[in-house]
Amino acid sequence: MFQNRAEGLALALPAALFAALVFLVPVVLLLSEGFRNADQWTLSAYVDFFSQPLNRTVFLRTLKLSALVTLVAAVIGYAAAYAIVSLPPGAKGRMVGLVVLPLMISPVARTYAWIVILGRTGIINQALQAIGLTDEPIRILFSETAIFIGLLQLFLPLMIISLISALENLPRDVVPAARVLGAGWLSVFWKIILPLTKEGLVIGGTLVFTGSMTAYITPAILGGSKVLMLETLLYQQVTVSNNFVAASVIAFILIVMSFAANILLKRIASARRSGK
Amino acid sequence: MIRRLFTPLTLFLMMLFLIGPFLIIVAASFSAGETLAFPPQGFSFRWIIKVFTIESFRQSFGVSMFLAIGGTLAALILGIPASYAMSRYRLPFAETVRFLVSMPIIVPGIIVGLALLRYFVIPVGMSVTLALFVAHTALILPYAVRVVSASLANLRADIEEAAVILGSSRLGAFFRVVLPNIRGGILSAFILGFVTSFNQVPVSLFLSGPGVRTLPIDMLGYMENVFDPSIAALSSLLAFLSIGIVFAAERFLGFSRYV
Amino acid sequence: MSDQTYLSLENLSLAYGKTTAVKDLNLTIRKGELLALLGPSGCGKTTTMRAIAGLMNPVGGKIVLDGRDITHVPANKREIGLVFQSYALFPHLTVFENVAFGLRMKGVQGNELRQKVEAGLKSVGLLSFAERKATDLSGGQQQRVSLARSMVVQPKLLMLDEPLSNLDARLRLDMRSELQRLQKETGMTMIFVTHDQVEALALADKIVVMRNGAIEQIGTPEDIYNRPATDFVADFVGFENIFKLRDGKLIADGKEFALGAECPNAPGLAWRPGMVTLGEGPFSGTVLGVSFAGNIRGYVLDTPLGPIRAEVDAARPAYTLGEQVAFDLPVASAAPLHRVG
Repeated sequence: MFQNRAEGLALALPAALFAALVFLVPVVLLLSEGFRNADQWTLSAYVDFFSQPLNRTVFLRTLKLSALVTLVAAVIGYAAAYAIVSLPPGAKGRMVGLVVLPLMISPVARTYAWIVILGRTGIINQALQAIGLTDEPIRILFSETAIFIGLLQLFLPLMIISLISALENLPRDVVPAARVLGAGWLSVFWKIILPLTKEGLVIGGTLVFTGSMTAYITPAILGGSKVLMLETLLYQQVTVSNNFVAASVIAFILIVMSFAANILLKRIASARRSGK
Repeated sequence: MIRRLFTPLTLFLMMLFLIGPFLIIVAASFSAGETLAFPPQGFSFRWIIKVFTIESFRQSFGVSMFLAIGGTLAALILGIPASYAMSRYRLPFAETVRFLVSMPIIVPGIIVGLALLRYFVIPVGMSVTLALFVAHTALILPYAVRVVSASLANLRADIEEAAVILGSSRLGAFFRVVLPNIRGGILSAFILGFVTSFNQVPVSLFLSGPGVRTLPIDMLGYMENVFDPSIAALSSLLAFLSIGIVFAAERFLGFSRYV
Repeated sequence: MSDQTYLSLENLSLAYGKTTAVKDLNLTIRKGELLALLGPSGCGKTTTMRAIAGLMNPVGGKIVLDGRDITHVPANKREIGLVFQSYALFPHLTVFENVAFGLRMKGVQGNELRQKVEAGLKSVGLLSFAERKATDLSGGQQQRVSLARSMVVQPKLLMLDEPLSNLDARLRLDMRSELQRLQKETGMTMIFVTHDQVEALALADKIVVMRNGAIEQIGTPEDIYNRPATDFVADFVGFENIFKLRDGKLIADGKEFALGAECPNAPGLAWRPGMVTLGEGPFSGTVLGVSFAGNIRGYVLDTPLGPIRAEVDAARPAYTLGEQVAFDLPVASAAPLHRVG
């Protein structure tokens, strides 16, 4: 009954054509702009882009912040995931629900909260002044620190969830077994937990890293117009400088990162399906 | 001692970091004061009420609702047959089809919005509303396909054959036997698509025109200029709306089975 | 013969893409017959059944049912019932609605519908389950629902895919007699597909043994059991000692062996273990294995003819491992094969 392949193709065609036409074609055209200069294929746009100090700074800042967020998310993620996994089943379910909950809330709302906390009259500054550590409000908002905090809060749940499922698949009793054999907590982590949860870490890490790389809202709200990341730079290039070529270059960088991450995730998934 | 404290302390700090800021926003939205601050100055509903009186919010809320509902429906109309084809037939070019429909999840939204602006809105004169609709539909398509495919995979293909043998037409078998059994998956896909579209910012960044703007974009613009608690109030309202929908879905559909 | 023919497959050929599944199959069934399609998995039996049901289009040949060429009639217009191996009940419907499905498709409504469904459920003993969700029932009950669902529409032909394979041993016996009862009561023409020769022998009026997409032998259960036509069928129904024959001599291991009596003119001979005589005869072998099975004792002998399997009354004194035993392959009881290899 399902042998008619033409029939199957006809059912899939509208979605495929739609995606190709409104998605693939314009995106490819946009990307091609960065490689063309008056009917010639060239890399000059990329040379130009990276020759400007501001662009280099933004590029490196995006990489640096994404890496940092990923690293810190991994450290916190392990502690949190380990704590959650060790809870009794009912409490564990509720806790997982609470970790997932923020993902359902608009990132605008989640990021906006940090203005209240990190602003000049925010909680942090009030506290610092109250205990006399500083007389003047210190500037936290519109800095790399603020972006870092915002991104970490935005993407930490993804890391925690990935690590929870990795930790749950840990063979039973390996940790007590290692403890009985005399391993300290640190060596249990390095020698047992880390190698056995490597996949979860890579999955969570990839999600956090690409999420941070391609974040717009957080740097837009918490970085302001001075501390840019790649997506906010792209937005400025288009709206302020009307420079579509630079936008195309940034778009290409972002897409390459995204695809690389996706291929990595697919590899892991298929390696897992085929039984490692 | 330290070990005994590890679990509760870690969980407390994590929750403080993840949920705390959101609670502050909720508290701030009930402030009686003029500016955004915590602890809030007094208690009132004035900002909650004010949100409903701001004309541009009302307008952009309408746009966002239209996109979230319309875009999700369109994505399902495209996505259900595609998922069906991919799960039931041995499709020629199966990988290409799969790649095409899952691509919008990989390509950052800001690029999609820009590409549509540059190649459809500016040169061809496509309306911003249509461009937004198309972009949101494309964005939701991968989610729709994924969730619907998962519930089709849990449904045996031979019940359709049974229906046909009992005298039903092919199309009739789909509506009588397949659709009722993947209803939960379709509703879950709808909710996931709705929330994703409603909260989406980057795709819509470049796609705004006079009177046509999504709610989150409108909020971003508003907060640059005005520093009062109305954004906090609106954020809380939206958050509770999302959470409410998801909770109801989990309760009645077992949402998390599909996602 | 031809005016009695109810269903006929003429030169039926079936394929999945470029892979041929069934080639030039010819088969006729009379009205009221219970036919078994028997063979190992991949022999084309299920594919043949799906083609008869209209779930798959033949690449060649013809299907004629009750005088009408149905080769190109769509599945929903064929009036053929099919009980799937998985039962394929509709998970969102009650038992009642599952059984009513086909009747509703025919436009049956109201009281008539209720009566027919209830009669159908009653005949499989599930009337009290009518309002349950179909998938909440046990495997055996689900199968009865599936059976009732297929039978209430009174199809011209009812087919069952491995009807007993998903049931446990006791249920299997119940279901077997129930199927026979239903068939006798309704006089319905039935085809069932199975890989289990015991089932086929017990249930069917006629058995079609298939192998590699072609028919190996058609016959009554007695024919198949006692007079297998080929070494494949012989092996399938339990002839464990099968030999080629040339010029009246057995061929084994490339050597010729003369038998005690004159051989029939056939390309091969086969013996069940129970047909082998132990303790006397022209051959001898060493006991390799002994297994006790209640009233009989089974032996494996290592002989110049290769391994020989024999079974004798367990009351006789047992041979021990390593013992030399004389044996005979009596020509009189052997089944002559028409084709070997």
